[in-house]
Amino acid sequence: MAQEEKIDSIGLLDENELAYFVAHANELEHPREMVIDVLRAIQKNHGWVPDEGVELTATILRLEPIEVEEVATFYDKIFRRPVGRYPIHVCDSICCWSNGGQELAEQFKQQLGIEFGQTTEDGLFTLLPSCCLGVCGCAPAVMIHQQHYGPLSREDVGELINRLRREASA
Amino acid sequence: MPTLTIDNQQVTVEDGTTVLEAAEQLGIVIPHFCYHKALGAVGACRMCAVTVHEGTFKGLKMSCLIKVEEGMVVTTDDAKSVVFRERVSEWLMLNHPHDCPVCDEGGECQLQEMTIASGHGVRRYEGQKRTYNNQQLGPFIAQEMNRCIQCYRCVRTYKDYCGGKDFGVMGSRNRVFFGRFKDGPLESDFSGNIVDACPTGVFTDKTFRFKSRFWDLQEAPSICPHCSLGCSTVPAGRYGELQRVRSSVNEKVNGFFICDRGRFGSSYANHPERPRQASRGQWKLTRDEALVQLDSKVRELIRQHGPEAVLLLGSNRASLETNWMLQRWAEKIGCRAPLLSAHLPRHLAAQVAAFDLADRLASLEKIRQSDLVVLLGVDPLAEAPMLAVALRQAVKKGGQVLAYDPRSIELPCVFEQQSMSPLQLLELLDQDKSPESGRLLDLLKKAESPVLVPGGDLLGAGGLLRVQKLAVVASNQTRSCLVHPVLAGPNSFGCGLLSLPEQDDLLTQLESGRIKMLVCVETDPLLEAPNGERFAKALSRLEELAVLDYLPTLISAHTKLFIPTSAPVEAAGTFVNNEGRQQLFVPVMEPRLPIAVTGSGSHPPREFLPEAPGSDPRPAWQLLQQLLGEEVELAQLRERMKTAVPRLIDFDKLQPGGVFCRVSDADERSCYADEISAQPAGSLQLVVSPARYGSDLLSRFSEKLKPRFTDACLQLHPQDAAERGLDDGMKVALKTDCGEYYLTLRCVEGVATGCAVVENGPAFPQLVPGGKLGFCQVAAGGRHD
Amino acid sequence: MSTLQLLFKNRRAGETVFMTGYKATGGYQALEKALTKMSPEEIRTLVKESGLRGRGGAGFPTGVKWGFFPADAPGPKYLVCNCDEMEPGTYKDGELLAADPHQLVEGMILSAFALQTGVGYIFIRYAYEQQAGYLRKAIEEAKTAGYIGKNIFGSGFDFELYVHGSAGRYILGEETALLNGLEGKRPNPRMKPPFPATRGLFGRPTTVNNVETIANIPHIVSGGALWFRDLALTPGSSGTKLYGLSGHFNVNECFELPVGIPLREIVENYGGGIRGGRKFKACLPGGASTPYLTAAHMDVALDFDSLQKVDSRYGTAGVTAFDDRTCMVAATLNLIQFFARESCGWCSPCRDGLTMMRWLLETIDNGQGTVEHLAMLKDQLENISGNSFCALAEGAMGPVAGLLNHFEQEIVDHIEKGHCPFRK
Ligand SMILES: Cc1cc2nc3c(=O)[nH]c(=O)nc-3n(C[C@H](O)[C@H](O)[C@H](O)COP(=O)(O)O)c2cc1C
Ligand code: SF4
Ligand code: FES
Repeated sequence: MAQEEKIDSIGLLDENELAYFVAHANELEHPREMVIDVLRAIQKNHGWVPDEGVELTATILRLEPIEVEEVATFYDKIFRRPVGRYPIHVCDSICCWSNGGQELAEQFKQQLGIEFGQTTEDGLFTLLPSCCLGVCGCAPAVMIHQQHYGPLSREDVGELINRLRREASA
Repeated sequence: MPTLTIDNQQVTVEDGTTVLEAAEQLGIVIPHFCYHKALGAVGACRMCAVTVHEGTFKGLKMSCLIKVEEGMVVTTDDAKSVVFRERVSEWLMLNHPHDCPVCDEGGECQLQEMTIASGHGVRRYEGQKRTYNNQQLGPFIAQEMNRCIQCYRCVRTYKDYCGGKDFGVMGSRNRVFFGRFKDGPLESDFSGNIVDACPTGVFTDKTFRFKSRFWDLQEAPSICPHCSLGCSTVPAGRYGELQRVRSSVNEKVNGFFICDRGRFGSSYANHPERPRQASRGQWKLTRDEALVQLDSKVRELIRQHGPEAVLLLGSNRASLETNWMLQRWAEKIGCRAPLLSAHLPRHLAAQVAAFDLADRLASLEKIRQSDLVVLLGVDPLAEAPMLAVALRQAVKKGGQVLAYDPRSIELPCVFEQQSMSPLQLLELLDQDKSPESGRLLDLLKKAESPVLVPGGDLLGAGGLLRVQKLAVVASNQTRSCLVHPVLAGPNSFGCGLLSLPEQDDLLTQLESGRIKMLVCVETDPLLEAPNGERFAKALSRLEELAVLDYLPTLISAHTKLFIPTSAPVEAAGTFVNNEGRQQLFVPVMEPRLPIAVTGSGSHPPREFLPEAPGSDPRPAWQLLQQLLGEEVELAQLRERMKTAVPRLIDFDKLQPGGVFCRVSDADERSCYADEISAQPAGSLQLVVSPARYGSDLLSRFSEKLKPRFTDACLQLHPQDAAERGLDDGMKVALKTDCGEYYLTLRCVEGVATGCAVVENGPAFPQLVPGGKLGFCQVAAGGRHD
Repeated sequence: MSTLQLLFKNRRAGETVFMTGYKATGGYQALEKALTKMSPEEIRTLVKESGLRGRGGAGFPTGVKWGFFPADAPGPKYLVCNCDEMEPGTYKDGELLAADPHQLVEGMILSAFALQTGVGYIFIRYAYEQQAGYLRKAIEEAKTAGYIGKNIFGSGFDFELYVHGSAGRYILGEETALLNGLEGKRPNPRMKPPFPATRGLFGRPTTVNNVETIANIPHIVSGGALWFRDLALTPGSSGTKLYGLSGHFNVNECFELPVGIPLREIVENYGGGIRGGRKFKACLPGGASTPYLTAAHMDVALDFDSLQKVDSRYGTAGVTAFDDRTCMVAATLNLIQFFARESCGWCSPCRDGLTMMRWLLETIDNGQGTVEHLAMLKDQLENISGNSFCALAEGAMGPVAGLLNHFEQEIVDHIEKGHCPFRK
């Protein structure tokens, strides 16, 4: 049967992940409940979810691509367009706002030379506004790859960027 | 049955009715967008707000969501509700591009109407509007997302109701987008319904783009002529062109929607080669001259060779009126009774439906509510598309669908499919012959409202009679097991009803040589009867051939005497659908050449003529009236017909465009008996199935549908292919009683073993569905034609 | 300041307590007691008597909600823990889980037993990946200890517990949207009725509760209903509460304090006053969706009923303070921006009404507003309030109502001056 055919993950998932998801999809009564898990795994490996990632998710979970897309495009933290290696989510909700969140955002824009929604030319950083990150006590804060940084001062911004640059070239 | 007060008027309604529906019964239209009778209420748009003064929940409430209560008091016109609805309009118009001047929906736009009705007239919002890029959705549907008001009706129609899989809603907040995963043609066979469902100009009929304003269209209630279901439609014409078709409501039949074949298959009426002038060979004739020639030739031949010499042929594409007038003309000129179909097996099947099954026919509405529907040799998407949508509703309500078929069937719902050759199907119906019979009978007996859906083409009259017996056994005192037979054409049932019990075969008649003249009324035996090649030979022996038709068929082009008739959209008439529903249609427009042709698109035309070019065609029944020397109003003609055929419903009880009446039951009649011929060794059972598009002649001659036409192929179960050493994609030779054909092989798991399946359609018109059980041989061997 | 610490009793800066530490302070004793000595029904009654009200924001009495649950019905039933926590100013559940994940795990098993649900899900927001990791580890430990799985404590009760991640949207906190999200569908809220208790996750009876609500259950089982009621400072209230402080306080931390503590205590004592020696102007008492309190409300007790009386809400008790330099128009605009962006896009008042409102506030904030804009703002508030499909847009109206109630003059100043009086 076609179903049993081996799925090619085209490098978006590694062998173990793929095997795990396929096994669970066969086991679960509602494989669809894994849609976010698969999308997040693809994003973790690839940085963002390309069209092929949506199709791959659909194949694994036996859905139509549009059914996956309906979900993928709903969530802010699933990227359906390329982002830099370090997407920086700058919180712009009330607690960060009241603690200089706007100035912090300006600082990032200046230091990276990009606007919100853009990626630096070296492909390292994408700047994104985000709603409350859940660390209101540490405002103003940013999140990079599910790691929080805050409260951040002007000086911290440069330091953080430099650290990530070093990490990237290491 | 609670009684409530809405705007000071009392109304008593069923339990469970919503306030919106109750108001409707009082004639109060509460503005709404997301509510749709077929799709239900989802409470998204908030347009239907009213104020509840007495009731469990008081205050401003959404009338589509709250259920009526005894003693409830509601107002729709109080200041609070009125202001709120105005605000909703304002919100919905926030991003609207105000492009009504170039919008195809203009004039029939629910958003325009509701905006005006709500009193919102001046834009106050001056912020940025969100804009979208549109998608290319194929030849039928145009998308303009900037006009969207997010009522979610398109996706609820396309996906939830019709079961389409490639359409959805993406994004969120004030940026939701309705479309496909990627650009590309919409795949559903019911895609056009989003045009009707969309309350604004997001999804419009691409084939109708920029052609007309709604108020300039000529519209009339009509019946779809593309299959035997008889869905209600509203075709629309302008300047001599049939420009579009939209669905109409018939809760007993189609409900609210129609299929793409019915919607986009209408351009046969404007076919560039449509014959519009009477002629004899190369000679052009006036209509009157042609009728005189027809009449005198018929009389002359009967005089010379006796009544057998002339044969009149009606058809299931022609109205009840036309077929009946044809019978009367035969009486008058003294020839034998007309055959009402060129295709005897299809006609016999229709007769079984019209007589033997008449007391247990089920409507599509019954199917939508059924808990068990059994398909017996019927492929809904090919033979009766809206049946597939009805099945989906049954399944959504918790019902079960079971399909026995030699073909690999697709349905827009979950169902159980069992591959079975035609012979096995007959065994299944013969009960106790097949192990499956027992299970089937058990299921039927246990079901609360079972419906059997036999395919007339595949089972033939003999099969339908077996179905009737099965239905009797599966019925009990409290409920009957109903049957919904799928037939060949829009008026198959009507033709079955009119004709005499004993029927013979047109081809045998012609080959006997006794017939000198054939008069075909709206039919082409070369395309519509089995064995076109033998037909062609037999026709060449005729002394005279006359054709009355509105399609540029093969036979229209080669006939000696041709008289143009008007298309169904240009005439009044009656069709009786597959479950015996007698339905009227009225003319939408006059026959004539479209301005686009005569005036190169400019208007008014440059040349002033007393009559519009191409306006000769007349309804066939009118031509026959002229031949009979009668000239009575349609109403009177129908009265006479009703007297002659007592089973018909009184015509003055009917409304055009679908009705709630079914012809009355029939008396017992002597039954038809069939023999099943023995299968030759090494042969396969031949299954000729209609293609989804272009099997019926109307859709074959509709330019708009061309993108949906498929290539011809021969389908075998992989096992049968392997036994013959054949591979998928190979050229193979198919040997049948009608001839030998060369086709590309496709191996399909779902095809029953021991069967060869071919599709009749534009790419392969040679074999016609329906007919006696046929056998064939398949072998390797391509020939390059 | 020593008040009784229940939820935060194991909390130490920078540390997370796992099984050993958790058991050292009495962890899983309530579970053992309940599963060996109590019937599910008894636990439900106890919770009802404890007066515990939901900590997710709506404050619905937990015992009453559990009372509607068809615990004895056959077939699969679910318990879902709501750890979406995306309302600005709210971070208490994150703090709780970072300190002591086993509390939630024990609470889940106990609640599942009380409700007789065989499967539990903890739905956790994208940004709490760290906490999700702690939870996974705690669940593994609980499995090894035999607290999760088959026949727990020989009671015949079986339970499986899963952590389910999200991908970032506030609407997932709305319980029916959460259920759609869990099922892998578009997380639009569902129509109610049917309520989740009848048709919830995968169409089966489901209870959704907040992290803090569930974490309280073991304490109620151990301490009893009366004791729990007595923890609160105001009559009619019960228990302690996690107060997450943010904004212009000197100390922006999360404290466990009694329900009913006066605002003054929070501002002056725990918050350490307003930063830079400035004056307290206003606060959101319970997250972004709660109408502002002002300096006039210093002596109001922070509990569900008292705050309702002053036209505000207790919400999640995330207190965000604003100093006297804050422009309340701008603050409200920021909040509306959040809600407009987080709208799921299902219903018109929220999807488009909030857009309209954002534009009005922007216009006023820019100094381009007129008295007509003020009138329109009031009119939008009136028409959006109470008329959206779910409570998101309803919540968004909280700060707008607060703005118009207490700071209308600031709007007028913007209009009259033609610019923001707080900016040069
Ligand atoms: C827009 C919206 C967001 C919500 N977010 C949360 C949330 O993050 N966490 C939570 O526990 N409840 C949230 N709620 C409340 C839940 O719908 C639900 O009432 C709650 O989870 C019930 O748990 P409780 O009774 O224990 O408080 C939210 C409600 C709305 C309308
Ligand atoms: S109020 Fe309406 S649009 Fe907003 S989140 Fe709720 S359902 Fe969605
Ligand atoms: S019709 Fe009632 S909310 Fe849309």
